[in-house]
Amino acid sequence: MGRRCMKLPRLCAAVVLVIAVLSACSARGAGVAGTGGAGKATNTATFALPAAVTPNWIWPFAAVQDMGVQNIAFLQQLMYRPLYWFGDSNGGPAVNSSLSIAQLPTFSPDGKTVTIKLKPYTWSNGEEVTAQDVVFWMNMEKAEKQNDGAYVPGQFPDNITSVRTPDASTIVLTTSEAYSQQWFTYNELGQITPMPTAWDVTGPGHAGTCATSTAGCAAVFSYLTAQAKDLPHYATNPLWQVVDGPWKLKSFNSDGHVTFVPNLSYAGPVKPTLAQFNETPYTSEAAEFNVLRGGKAIDVGYIPPQDLSGPKPAGAAPAAAGPNPISGYTLAPEYLYSINFFPLNYNNPQVGPIFKQLYFRQALQSVVDQNAIIHAASAGYGVPTNGPIPLYPASDLISSLEKANPYPFSLSAASDYLTSNGWKVVPNGTTTCVRPGTGAGECGAGIAAGRALTFDLQYYSGQQTVATAMASLKSNAAQVGITLNISGAPFNTLTGTAVPCHGSGCTWQMENWGGGWNFAPDYYPTGETLFLTGAGVNVGSYSNPAIDKLIQATNHDSGTAVMQAYEDALARDLPVIWQPDYPYQLTEIAGGLKGVTPQNPFATLTPENWRWSK
Amino acid sequence: MIRFLLRRSLQAVVVVLVVTVDVFVLLHQLPGGPARAVLGARATPSQVAFFNHQNGLDRPLVAQYFTTLGHWAGGNFGFSYTLNQSVGSLMMQRLPKTLVLNLLALLLTIVVAVPLGIYQAVRRNKAFDYLATGVSFVLYAAPVFFLGVVMLVFFSQELNLFPPEAPQGDGVGPIFAEPRAMVLPVVTLAFLGIAGFSRYMRSSVLDNINQDYVRTARAKGCSSGRVLTRHVLRNAMIPIVTLIGLSLPTLFAGALVTESIFNFPGMGLLFWQAAQDSDYPVELGVVLVTAVATVIGTLLADICYAVIDPRVRLGA
Repeated sequence: MGRRCMKLPRLCAAVVLVIAVLSACSARGAGVAGTGGAGKATNTATFALPAAVTPNWIWPFAAVQDMGVQNIAFLQQLMYRPLYWFGDSNGGPAVNSSLSIAQLPTFSPDGKTVTIKLKPYTWSNGEEVTAQDVVFWMNMEKAEKQNDGAYVPGQFPDNITSVRTPDASTIVLTTSEAYSQQWFTYNELGQITPMPTAWDVTGPGHAGTCATSTAGCAAVFSYLTAQAKDLPHYATNPLWQVVDGPWKLKSFNSDGHVTFVPNLSYAGPVKPTLAQFNETPYTSEAAEFNVLRGGKAIDVGYIPPQDLSGPKPAGAAPAAAGPNPISGYTLAPEYLYSINFFPLNYNNPQVGPIFKQLYFRQALQSVVDQNAIIHAASAGYGVPTNGPIPLYPASDLISSLEKANPYPFSLSAASDYLTSNGWKVVPNGTTTCVRPGTGAGECGAGIAAGRALTFDLQYYSGQQTVATAMASLKSNAAQVGITLNISGAPFNTLTGTAVPCHGSGCTWQMENWGGGWNFAPDYYPTGETLFLTGAGVNVGSYSNPAIDKLIQATNHDSGTAVMQAYEDALARDLPVIWQPDYPYQLTEIAGGLKGVTPQNPFATLTPENWRWSK
Repeated sequence: MIRFLLRRSLQAVVVVLVVTVDVFVLLHQLPGGPARAVLGARATPSQVAFFNHQNGLDRPLVAQYFTTLGHWAGGNFGFSYTLNQSVGSLMMQRLPKTLVLNLLALLLTIVVAVPLGIYQAVRRNKAFDYLATGVSFVLYAAPVFFLGVVMLVFFSQELNLFPPEAPQGDGVGPIFAEPRAMVLPVVTLAFLGIAGFSRYMRSSVLDNINQDYVRTARAKGCSSGRVLTRHVLRNAMIPIVTLIGLSLPTLFAGALVTESIFNFPGMGLLFWQAAQDSDYPVELGVVLVTAVATVIGTLLADICYAVIDPRVRLGA
């Protein structure tokens, strides 16, 4: 038996040997996966898509679920240029007149007539980009507004009373009332992407009439939607090959591998010099990081915050980078034009009366130590949010009050806000109302004697920064006797729970989904969708008539003064609890690849600016 | 045999239907719902209502279920809310990849674990047995993501022997064009199986090796090798056949962690992401495929028992 059985280890050894030999053989034959990137040698660049995100909607007319950055920034706008491009050459959030395909609009003295002059751009099929292409998009918007994710009832195009095209490169819009020039340009005209006549079809070889009449748009919409859902044929469908941007599709794989080549007829200011621009998908941040560390496949990628080797120096500018553990790459944090906050439910029958007291919101905001959270949760990468205007990237809209932060972290200030309004503060205990009533120095309407400051706060469990921030908030709040019962939940549970509500069923208290608000496609940071009474995304039902007037003014009056008045009022009134805003990603750029920075605050890509140094 | 197959097939249909009803009801009990998950925090109430209407989610649950059932009967698995592709095409993309990954891992598991378990049993309580047992325990206890990362750091980043990601591209073609890139994911996935299967095999061989029939075979003059391969192995394989049968669903359901670490989007990731987004059509499609695979796996295991063990009569 012994001798026979000695064959078993030999068998095992043989199996291992075969595997090893096969591996070695294939190693010699196949090469390392992903080494083909080698951007500099081939004059190409490979961009790592965000984890678990792939482009899947090519038509620049999309429902809200298809308006993600992976479609707009990483697919559509590389090929189909919007009327106005946002994100200036310094990385600021302003309109970029150089990359826009129209000149900045001019407004009549009464503010109701807007004239748009197109620049001389051409489609890749040789046709000019004309005013009719703009009207085509507007007709589609009018006819299919429910299918446009950017549509807000009462706004564009409901507020357009007439559209004229006096010549092939001019569009004249008449509006129902006068609007702020900035708001109208950023948040209304910013939605428009001219569409070529080649897309005005109801089937192969069947011309449509949507470019000239809204009545013809339903059939065109139906056909283009079907084509946009046909992902495997994006690169071969003649429709999508008609582009006016710097790139056109060479190949598209629905798993997320996308390849672009230069559009040789692009009329914009900077022509691509790369021979090819590639996008590659990743199942997780860890998978991307493993490939990035290999250093052979990704030219522009990102490092997960947990893989940083250390925090950035305290006090460094938001754009500054700390230690970079990846050799051969430059670390460049990328911030979106966004604010971060979590809402309070003002209509909750139990705790709503407390939330309606400004002094309580001031106390709660005062126990948020944003700088400490940024350091602890995100290795120093992040920007505080002090009000409704993003503090980074810099813009002339930021007021001195918001910049200075009216409610900095201060436990003593938090305690003072409560004690001076009828509450007995018990540090690490339970603070209770001892002077009920509506007079000065009393707790306020609807708050009974003995009422405790105890609240439920759900937060997004899938993001470590949010969990850390909530643990910090709970600890700080406890020091002034505010008890926060925090619990993690999936994203869709939070967004499904935090909806406007009334009555006894309106039971949620505080919900933190971690994302706050990105100002895109509402590029101008006014508050009509977030903080106006009754607005669709005003989930906590915040209402302040004085603020409503200021918000309306930002929509109708031009200039920065009106914006700063709104900004200061909201920074003081705390409609929500402001939270730190974290980078969109920590970008890693291969050594020798120039032109990637400054990064666009709306995450759009301009690889036509990228070039390898000699 | 035919009666057995017919009876089990009918049972299988009932089981699959019950599973789909359960999953359908449970999905709709989840807070939030697909509209909020898909549309995000920016969605206005009117956009949510429009989405629900477009996708039939404002209809009674029973009506939704039977509509879905009707579509399945016609081979239509629905359309993903988030990926803009039909569920059928998504599964056609992902399933071959998952099957190749899991089949290779299962094959490697059997090829290594069966001889290993037999040898451990034969050399029980010797140094090799202790060593193999220790390694098995470590592999069994270690989380797959940890093993995967260790494999990546050691074999890809330190030794530069293998690529850091699985072959990329559509279908299984790239896998065979670049077999070296499959080594780390397959080996990582096989580790857990090898640890488990080898323990079962060792135990099963030990159970059989002291049986009377083995002693009788030896007394009749059979060589040790013949006793082991002709008599012991066949009986000892019964628990392994059970394990292989139970592995069939995982061949279809995917290997979430391995797929995630090695950038190899298969069925596991498809289902996980659908669960995150409340993408009901994808979730239901994957559950249906997995449920069918489970009942088929169980059926095949039962048939294999009969082939291996003459005492088992399927028709009984």
